Amino acid sequence: MKDSLVTVARSLIFVAFALILCALVFQFAGYNAPLMLWAVADGAFLRSGAIEQSLRWALPLFITAVGVGISFRAGFFNIGAQGQFYVGAICAAFAAEAFKGGPAFLVIPALIIAGTLGGALWALWPGLLRLRSGTDEVITTLMGNFMAGLLLVYVTSGPLKDPSGSGQQASSRPLDAAYRISDSLGISPTIIAIGAAVGILMWLLVNRTAFGVLASLAGRNGTMVEWQGARLWKLGLSSFIISGALAGLAGTIEFMGPNGRIASGFLPAHGFTAILIALVANLSVVGTAAAAVFFGGLASAALYLPIMAGLPAAAIDIINAAIALFITARSKLVDQVLRLGGRPS
Amino acid sequence: MNEIIIAILRSGTPLIYVTLAGVIAQRAGVWNLGLEGLMIMGACATIVGIMLTNSIVAAILIAILICVLASVLLWFVIDRLKANPIIAGLGLTGLGLGGTALAVQSIFGSQASVTAPFGIPKLGPAFGAYGVLSIAVAAMPFVVFGMWVMLRRTRFGLRLAACGEHPFAARSVGANPSRMRLVALAIGGVLCAIGGAELAAGSLQFFAQGMTAGRGFMAFAAVIFGASHPVGATFAALFFAVVGALGIRAQLMFGDKIPHDLLQALPYLATVFGVWLSGKLRGGAKAASSFAELKDQ
Repeated sequence: MKDSLVTVARSLIFVAFALILCALVFQFAGYNAPLMLWAVADGAFLRSGAIEQSLRWALPLFITAVGVGISFRAGFFNIGAQGQFYVGAICAAFAAEAFKGGPAFLVIPALIIAGTLGGALWALWPGLLRLRSGTDEVITTLMGNFMAGLLLVYVTSGPLKDPSGSGQQASSRPLDAAYRISDSLGISPTIIAIGAAVGILMWLLVNRTAFGVLASLAGRNGTMVEWQGARLWKLGLSSFIISGALAGLAGTIEFMGPNGRIASGFLPAHGFTAILIALVANLSVVGTAAAAVFFGGLASAALYLPIMAGLPAAAIDIINAAIALFITARSKLVDQVLRLGGRPS
Repeated sequence: MNEIIIAILRSGTPLIYVTLAGVIAQRAGVWNLGLEGLMIMGACATIVGIMLTNSIVAAILIAILICVLASVLLWFVIDRLKANPIIAGLGLTGLGLGGTALAVQSIFGSQASVTAPFGIPKLGPAFGAYGVLSIAVAAMPFVVFGMWVMLRRTRFGLRLAACGEHPFAARSVGANPSRMRLVALAIGGVLCAIGGAELAAGSLQFFAQGMTAGRGFMAFAAVIFGASHPVGATFAALFFAVVGALGIRAQLMFGDKIPHDLLQALPYLATVFGVWLSGKLRGGAKAASSFAELKDQ
């Protein structure tokens, strides 16, 4: 218990450190840093309706981040959440075209399944390459992100193009209102239920099944698990597929819920933020939920920064990047301070 | 034919400089995924430097200074704070992409791109059709050769490789792996600055938000594809540039028959293929032990 408290405290310290560092940089760049921090807090949690907005961003991020955590646990550096998220949304959008006119109670599950499968598929090939040929998954999943981004540009300006669409961003035809799972505000009982179901199922999978235990062990010492008789490649491939499927599910939710359509280059930071969430949470499912609310708040605050503090929305990207820079740090100094604080001699 | 070669050299040169930065980091045992961020910092600093100082030399020196400082920050985080190099590298990339966007907006107002009045000097008419290329392109083969000599034929290069391969052994003969990493990343910072400068000021003379568009990651893939050998990685980077140029060529020739967004994905596909192939040839290039940590920690 003490160890997990130390872990939580360490995450918090690095997040706070990154925030302070960013505030200092912004102050030197000529912005009002206290106002910025206030704007972030206000936009994320304090303003009326802010919590709903933060949850709207937090739920899809949570779903993707849980998946990222599962592949990281198994020792696979699947950083392709963004691509899997896009491909999931694209598959759901194609399914929506195919099933147009069907009864909603059949079409909605079909779309969700299509999107989930799409995401799983986009994680399957890097997984196979990694486990069959030893191709490094960091590069393949990274390249997969770029390819999926271009695929999204292609489908939104080609096969799925909305002819009435104007403006610079190409987007798909809007999803029929009957098949939407939330309005454009983005939070609805359906989405909350999906998020809760994913959270519970994945918590059970990680903590209460042989798969979860073996996968975590495989991440730490694959050879040992192999000697114990577990099939390493099965564990690995399943973790790739699960993480891809969840990212695809998150993409589907964004498509069927708040967005109602897919646009080229939408939510470009989703995958990276999800990786951060998983790491801040130290890959635990419960921690992921808490971290997702925090980063969801940051994402929601990004919309208010330009108005409140005159800061470009890129400021949130910088805060996220600074957190990424420091979050995996295992400084002995920090640990010593924390342990001394918790264990007076 | 000249046109294609010029196009390849133009798109390939920035990639090659950044690839060399990745090679030297890789040899020191650091997976540098911050290349993308360093490259865009170099590109942005060069253009902003030209606007502020009106001198290309000063602009490139500013870019080098910024990229070296950012590289030292990366070294500090992964070597001193023991952070995961991959995540820290991605963080540095995010810092570069977000930071340059913020810098351009705060210096020039809400412009998405900045155009400079001049760029890196060109070779000039003495070189015929190739005179439109910048001197950084002409310098590139010498830099590659210099890197090869440094990494493969000097005491420093061999010690660097030893530090990356087996830090304990390196330490036992008196090398300091931590300091070697610092030197390698700092040299990489210089190379990234030049690569970014060539990208922004070589033939275009402007900076746009996110203009590196994944080139830094492609350079990283070239490092892996080229087995972190300076010449091999250079050819890998050149290969990506060729695929990119042929993609544009095919786009012009086939027009509407092939959607051009999908052709743009060719270099990425080539990268996956290259990494797969290099893994096949060397029996599974799994350089990063999953949660890649520096080997002596």
